[in-house]
Amino acid sequence: MIEKLLYVILAAVGLYELVDLAVLRRMKKRLVHRARLLNLLMLLVILTGFAFAIEAMTLYLFLQIVLLNIVEMCVLVLATTGIVLIFKTSVTTNFAQGTIATVGAFTAAKLIIYLTANSAMPMSTKLILALVSSAVVCFLIGLFIDTVIFRHSRYSNPVGKQMITMGIVLVLFGLMPVLFGLLPLTVEAFSYEGQIINLPNMFPLFLPNHNLYALCITVAMLVTLFAALRFTKWGLGVRATASNETVASMMGVNTKLITALSWGIAGAFGGVAAFLFAPVGNAVTVSFMTPVQVNAFLASILGGFSSFGGPLVGAVLINLFSSIASAINSVWTNVIVYVLVLLLVLAKPLGLFGKKTAKKV
Amino acid sequence: MTTLRLSFDRIRKQLASIARHPYFGFLAFGSILVVLRLLAIGGVIPNSLMKSLVITMIYAIIALGFSLLLGYGGLASLGTAGFVGLGTYFIGHFSGTLGYPFAATLLISLLGAIVLGAIVGFISLRIEGMYLAIITLGLSEILREVFKSFTAFTNGVNGLGFRDFALFGLPVSDTAVDFIVIFVFILIILGTLNIIKSPTGRALLAMKNSDSAAQSMGIGLMKYRLLAFILATIYAVIGGLLYMMDQQFSIPTTWSLDFSLNILAAVVVGGAQSITGIILGTFMIFGLNMTVLKEIAFFREYPDATWIVSGLLIILITMFYPGGLIRLIQAIRFWLVKTGKKLKRKWRIHRYGEDD
Repeated sequence: MIEKLLYVILAAVGLYELVDLAVLRRMKKRLVHRARLLNLLMLLVILTGFAFAIEAMTLYLFLQIVLLNIVEMCVLVLATTGIVLIFKTSVTTNFAQGTIATVGAFTAAKLIIYLTANSAMPMSTKLILALVSSAVVCFLIGLFIDTVIFRHSRYSNPVGKQMITMGIVLVLFGLMPVLFGLLPLTVEAFSYEGQIINLPNMFPLFLPNHNLYALCITVAMLVTLFAALRFTKWGLGVRATASNETVASMMGVNTKLITALSWGIAGAFGGVAAFLFAPVGNAVTVSFMTPVQVNAFLASILGGFSSFGGPLVGAVLINLFSSIASAINSVWTNVIVYVLVLLLVLAKPLGLFGKKTAKKV
Repeated sequence: MTTLRLSFDRIRKQLASIARHPYFGFLAFGSILVVLRLLAIGGVIPNSLMKSLVITMIYAIIALGFSLLLGYGGLASLGTAGFVGLGTYFIGHFSGTLGYPFAATLLISLLGAIVLGAIVGFISLRIEGMYLAIITLGLSEILREVFKSFTAFTNGVNGLGFRDFALFGLPVSDTAVDFIVIFVFILIILGTLNIIKSPTGRALLAMKNSDSAAQSMGIGLMKYRLLAFILATIYAVIGGLLYMMDQQFSIPTTWSLDFSLNILAAVVVGGAQSITGIILGTFMIFGLNMTVLKEIAFFREYPDATWIVSGLLIILITMFYPGGLIRLIQAIRFWLVKTGKKLKRKWRIHRYGEDD
């Protein structure tokens, strides 16, 4: 399978050079056409790669692994959305995204323990309350970080802002054992049962209910967010701030409010992500969101920071890569995924959907 | 009598000129460290304090390499942890498990560092800024996965122990390792000083301020980016070798994102362009909780709570003193000089009356 893939890649590279030298050289907008050709060929290579992989591991196994990994995909997509939202409005990569989310998961776990001890609610009500509490706590932390720290940092170059988010990571790392105790906690899943899906010509597939609920919640949140970005005044403000903060504030956009809300919403997305991620075999510890955080960064640069949709596609792609890689070789899964992402980003340095912005010299 | 006084004057002048030499401060610092170590042998200073100082020095070596990238090259990288980890496993595997002589291990480590640095350098030609930081983070994660899974080389998640280190056939004791660390630390400081003041350092600075301007002045981007990354990787690998000699144990969980972020924090908190600042910053981030904070009861109960202090320090310094602690010290010194002059003037007015 890997040999076949190598041949396809070599053929694609050869075709690219050939067309570039023979045809595109005579055209007027050579660079534009070259970029289009590269996109087309990369799409083809990725699709054939997937086809080969699915052929090698059989369609049934692929579908089953994807169904089981849906919850990880949802978590990754939510975390990536938070990071991109903050990058768009504050021009910084938020290292604290995962840690803020962890605080939310801890709150949810503590609330579940408290409610179980003090009231006779059904489990579903408790879980919904816990989910909401996790989102609200993370929203408030995000709001606090922006209004208290970011608004008052006099000096705002990107590295400095990154440093501040990393300082927040350390503070929360230190605070969590003091607030929530030293022991790892657990969050219950929505349901431990599952659906059996029967497709023609195939063994029945199994879909855990928790994954189904996670998918529904994620899709609902994303649809709301994208609708808000497209149709509400806040969305217009975010888009204006993302394109140029100074000009936006001169045009009467309340950029401070927009940025603060973006931080809060990004935090809430993280909180929901952590809540969904905790039940699938992860005890809530201080650093249980770190792998998600690393993958979310990689997803953002794979998709390119310049659009909202790109990173989400990146997140889905990374999840599919890791599904396939885990079937091929379970020990080296992450290495395979990281190397793939590295190669894709080397081929397109601004991400799959990135746009080149003109740089002032 | 006069000739004697003259020769005294000459000696004093020569001493003053020695004291003004750029090396003098760092050599004096090194001698103080050696004296401290000797005092620890004598039992005047607790041994645990000395141990924390030695490990802080190792972190400072890594931070100095990182400052060549960030402070001089303007290239953000989050791959430090992976490179340091690689250094620890090089010495642990080749000198420890296979029993190669140290010179061979050093050669292999340097070669590995050069190859790895060159790879990252080539990547940095194509990917820039935030993207580069995240890609190097990905590389570091790849290395960490290798540490976890390549058990023949690294002993996997159980960690690799390293004992009975021998240098040129002689066994090296823990005390001797401390002296080696101090020696290498001072050597690295002097080397960094030379690099910074040389045309290479100037070229890196020019590159940081503007790629295009530097290129138009005839500075090859490829050459200097590769050089910066190779140097930083060599520093990191040397730090890894020393870490393994000192701690005698290396486990993949150490070499995660937190480690890289802490090195970044040390460089930024101290002041990315000053050697004194970086040493200060490393002590603030790593040394402070090992030496001072662990004596406080609250932190003894919650050992992780020391992170709160480091975190607050990072936030406050980046918010109010973006140039790092070194700027704060310069500001204080400036204020002291100014106040001193003012007081002197006031005293003169009081003593001799107003002159107009």
